Amino acid sequence: MKKISEKTLKRSFLNWFFWNGCSQQAESMLGIAFGQSMAPVIDELYDKKEEKAEALKRHITLFNTESQVGSICNGIVCGLEEANANGNCTPELISSVKVALIGPTSAIGDSLWVATIIPILLTICLSISQASLATGWLGPVLYMLVYPIGTFILSWYLFKLGYRSGLEGMQTFMSSGRLNSLTDTMTVLGLIVVGALTASFVSLPLPIQIVRDVFDATTGQILENQVIFDADKVVNSIFPNILPLLLTLAVYYLYSKKKWSPLKLMGLIFVLACLLTLLGYATGVYA
Amino acid sequence: MQIYQIILIALFIYLGSIGSIVGNTIGWYTLGRPLVASFVVGLIMGDVQTAILVGISLQIMYMGNVTPGGAVAWDLSYATYIGTAAALVFGKGLDTAQVIGLAVVFAGIGGLVGQIMWNLSYALNLPLNRVAQRYAEAGETKKMFIPNVVLGQLIGFACRFIPAVIVLTSMTAASAQGDFASLIPGWLTTVLGVFGGMMAALGMGIILSFLFKKKYHVVIFLAGFILVTYFNLSTMAVAVLAIIIAVLYYVAVTNLEAKRGEVQ
Repeated sequence: MKKISEKTLKRSFLNWFFWNGCSQQAESMLGIAFGQSMAPVIDELYDKKEEKAEALKRHITLFNTESQVGSICNGIVCGLEEANANGNCTPELISSVKVALIGPTSAIGDSLWVATIIPILLTICLSISQASLATGWLGPVLYMLVYPIGTFILSWYLFKLGYRSGLEGMQTFMSSGRLNSLTDTMTVLGLIVVGALTASFVSLPLPIQIVRDVFDATTGQILENQVIFDADKVVNSIFPNILPLLLTLAVYYLYSKKKWSPLKLMGLIFVLACLLTLLGYATGVYA
Repeated sequence: MQIYQIILIALFIYLGSIGSIVGNTIGWYTLGRPLVASFVVGLIMGDVQTAILVGISLQIMYMGNVTPGGAVAWDLSYATYIGTAAALVFGKGLDTAQVIGLAVVFAGIGGLVGQIMWNLSYALNLPLNRVAQRYAEAGETKKMFIPNVVLGQLIGFACRFIPAVIVLTSMTAASAQGDFASLIPGWLTTVLGVFGGMMAALGMGIILSFLFKKKYHVVIFLAGFILVTYFNLSTMAVAVLAIIIAVLYYVAVTNLEAKRGEVQ
């Protein structure tokens, strides 16, 4: 009965954690890195050179995932290789399981970890930095500690979960209601903070004003060049920051519903900025 | 910039790029984030406060820049290190909004260079498959790090570090010609200021596309917005409030689910 030692599992995990993206390319994506992650495991499980070669060859083929949450794949494959070395699994099964894992682990990793946890953690650290310029360093320092350490722990936990409980373990992890409630909660947290950030960071001036000479009835004098209408002030007294809010929602609409690329949106914003500046110079807000 | 500053920043651009030797968790997702990158640039250039001011804006603007399925939308590491460095080098005599606008423009240039370099390394890495195949066929389990880490990172380092040094050196040379504030016309700095403020909407709009999952979610977003505009709370205060609400929400939701489980 062959068993992978704890030390080898750690080596395999660390190989993956640090070097999963080192040789990324279009042919096998993270395949070569996956092969390196499996190398210590293969070395321990198989004795003959030919067996090692066979095992290595099946692990440098196409593989891709969100690598942090995707460490569960490496764990599962370690478990399968162990079973294979003991004659309870076939190389064909290992390869097909690997390919099948690509979709769901990428989806969970990208949507939960990369697109939810990272932005939320960043917005919290951002608020800390913004609170006072003198302690601005606190935000990045906090992020530099919390994110890598937290991700390392999660990644190692998922790797071991994959190794111990295999595919079933992954299914329970993915289908448990806890994961959904947690995602929903993070979404609520994110939405409130993003709302606050939108209000304090997005700015959109409406530089239109009308300047006239005004006759002051109480003193009987003519006051020259008085601003009798300031569009920006009027709009903001009705609903503060309504224009930045509308711009943000417009970007959301164009990006998510009309599938505009970020570059195209950037272009649109630049053109708008030029037009607004022109308007400002024309009406004399900017001089 | 001094030579050691150029080399250090170029080194961090490499470390913060996708698939560097410290791993994506420490590299791309930590050192490559604008908030962290600006802090690092600030330390190297000796002006942490201005750097973080710029970094906050770049972070908000690029908040939606994540890499779904491994496709790099925009090379963040290049964008923010170059953008922050440019703001510190050229920003003398400009007000905050204009400095940020300047950073946004240079971040765009940096991001473009980074994007080209990413595509280049993506292509140059292809032959590594042949090398890996050869080691695998020989059953060399102890040498699998050679195609992945050693050769992969030689290419990665060359593609990131060298162009970064070139860009940063030309910036230094340009800054020696005179102050940016005196070189460019006033209307251009005004455009930069307006553009910088509006660009924050890009990041916020894109991140909303990940967060809006149900129709009523727009109300929760507006709640955060109004807490700042009508109640004049700082974003920090709203963040604390948001955490409290999130905890209550989680407790309520899990209780509800437990009850539903009992009924069934």
